[in-house]
Amino acid sequence: MEDNPADVRLVRAALEEHGIVGELIVFQDGAKAIQFIGEIESGSGSCPDLMIVDLNLPKCPGREVLECRDHSGKLRNVPIVVLSSSDAAQDRDDSSRLGASLYLRKPSHLDDFLLLGATFREILGLPPN
Amino acid sequence: MYQPGRTATDTQLETKAPSAPVPDVTAELWDFLEKAGVAFHWVAEDGTILWANTAELQMMGYQASEYVGRNIRDFYVDRQAIEDILIRLSNDENLNDHEARVRCKDGSTRWVAISSSVYRKDGKFVHTRCVTVDITDRKSASDLRQRLGAIVESSDDAIIAKDLDGIILSWNRGAERIFGYTAEEVIGQHVSILAAPDRIDEIPDILGRLRRGERVDHYKTKRKAKDGRILTISLTVSPLFDAQGGIIGASKVARDITLTESQEHALEAVNESLKMANADLEQFVYSASHDLQEPLRMVATYSELLMRTFRDQLGPDGADYLDYVLQGALRMEQLLKNLRAYTLVSTVQREPVDYVDSGMVLDRALANLRPTIVESSALITRGPLPKVKLQDFRLEQLFQNLISNALRYKRGPRPEIKVFAEPERNGWRFAVQDNGIGIDPRYKEQIFDLFKRLHSVAEYPGTGMGLAICKRIIERAGGRIWVESAPGRGSTFYFTLP
Repeated sequence: MEDNPADVRLVRAALEEHGIVGELIVFQDGAKAIQFIGEIESGSGSCPDLMIVDLNLPKCPGREVLECRDHSGKLRNVPIVVLSSSDAAQDRDDSSRLGASLYLRKPSHLDDFLLLGATFREILGLPPN
Repeated sequence: MYQPGRTATDTQLETKAPSAPVPDVTAELWDFLEKAGVAFHWVAEDGTILWANTAELQMMGYQASEYVGRNIRDFYVDRQAIEDILIRLSNDENLNDHEARVRCKDGSTRWVAISSSVYRKDGKFVHTRCVTVDITDRKSASDLRQRLGAIVESSDDAIIAKDLDGIILSWNRGAERIFGYTAEEVIGQHVSILAAPDRIDEIPDILGRLRRGERVDHYKTKRKAKDGRILTISLTVSPLFDAQGGIIGASKVARDITLTESQEHALEAVNESLKMANADLEQFVYSASHDLQEPLRMVATYSELLMRTFRDQLGPDGADYLDYVLQGALRMEQLLKNLRAYTLVSTVQREPVDYVDSGMVLDRALANLRPTIVESSALITRGPLPKVKLQDFRLEQLFQNLISNALRYKRGPRPEIKVFAEPERNGWRFAVQDNGIGIDPRYKEQIFDLFKRLHSVAEYPGTGMGLAICKRIIERAGGRIWVESAPGRGSTFYFTLP
């Protein structure tokens, strides 16, 4: 769930770099993300293996998405990672409280960003590449 | 005619002997005049002293031979005054309680009151009959009273006297000015006419304290003026005692501080709005620097991606250009990070501060700098380091900035850095000493300014904020920071902490 297409591409590159094969579904605002969660709950959508959320989403903030997922029955076991540009302690605390497995700050160096792929692998329970 | 008698006891006094025998009753009167407790003398028309009694001689301090036969003018301080007296007397004027000054044998001056008349025989001036009373004490007391009265009258403050029942006895010009009532309107009234509506109860309380002999000092209160305005007054009330020490009333000095009060309030208001404006500005800088980092991240990451993905198509020049783009973005990012650190020094403020072990904090800072320390083979030594009152993360930042500078501006293969502390008047004086390239004394102050650097980025990397941040941290903690250095001789940075 990310509204910046540049960051979407970077996430895609990071996943590719570390051999994570699959379908990347992108939601560009919080409302669509919450709608998606609703669809999964009602059974008309399939559960993802990993959710990556930016806190700064238009329409509904990432926090609400976290809350929504926290209350969802089906998504309880899907790991959700917050990938944000903020380093405010408040955001970290809130995210962890709302069930995020990890809080990651978006790095400025390309290499560091691509390295996130390794972290995603780990969360998905895949062996290192 | 008459004969002043020589008494048995006054062997020292000589008196002028008259030339004719005296009948007895006169002798008795004469004796009385001689020994009376008031100074009597006779003076001839030309001013010659014909006779003076014992009291006069004692008052003036002279022997009869030194006094009688001399001219009275010699014993008066103001020549004009004595001439005036003599002229009046010869014009048959009687003087009553006429004040003048005489000079005694010991040189001292006394004020006297003269009562005098002329004895004439057959119309001819025979001599004056003078009674002289020493009024020096009376005069100085009345001078003092006049002076005190002038002080009270001229004071800008209201000076009011009242009796124990609160009736106003005196009212100076200052009181007229401050309260608006004239003395006539207010003397005889009860002091409660001045009371402000919400302070009526305070007056009996003050009176009670006064009756017990207590003084009320600089008591800030409100009073009501004649036109109904409420004034803010600083009041001092002291009991008035009579000669026996009994309390007979009170004296109040009231200063109108209404204006001072409103000025103080205005000042406070300005201060508050300044504080708020400052806080707003810092918030703004903090947010702005945060928001500015995002677009930079885009520039940096994608320049790199561009370089990597299209390396072959770009060629060497293209790669260089992109590299400059990337470096520019990274540098700006660093600047923004430091700017936020700078504003953070004051925004994150009201935490309680404990004592921290500066040695432990130094260790943490050194751990943070480990890669650079190892890479430069730096030797870092320290003396014993005390506990100081500063947030640990600030002290860590302080050490880190100073040591990072020392490592960066090194001279020769082996940078040596010493950290030590000495006790000082109110706390500690720390020193971070290096053997680096040193600083030209001309720039000793400038280097602590924001964004100021002495070298280009190519020579030595940096954003010009490290020392500015250190200075802010230290000054907020109430200390000082300064450097002693010479080019080529290394630098020692000193800072004090309570």
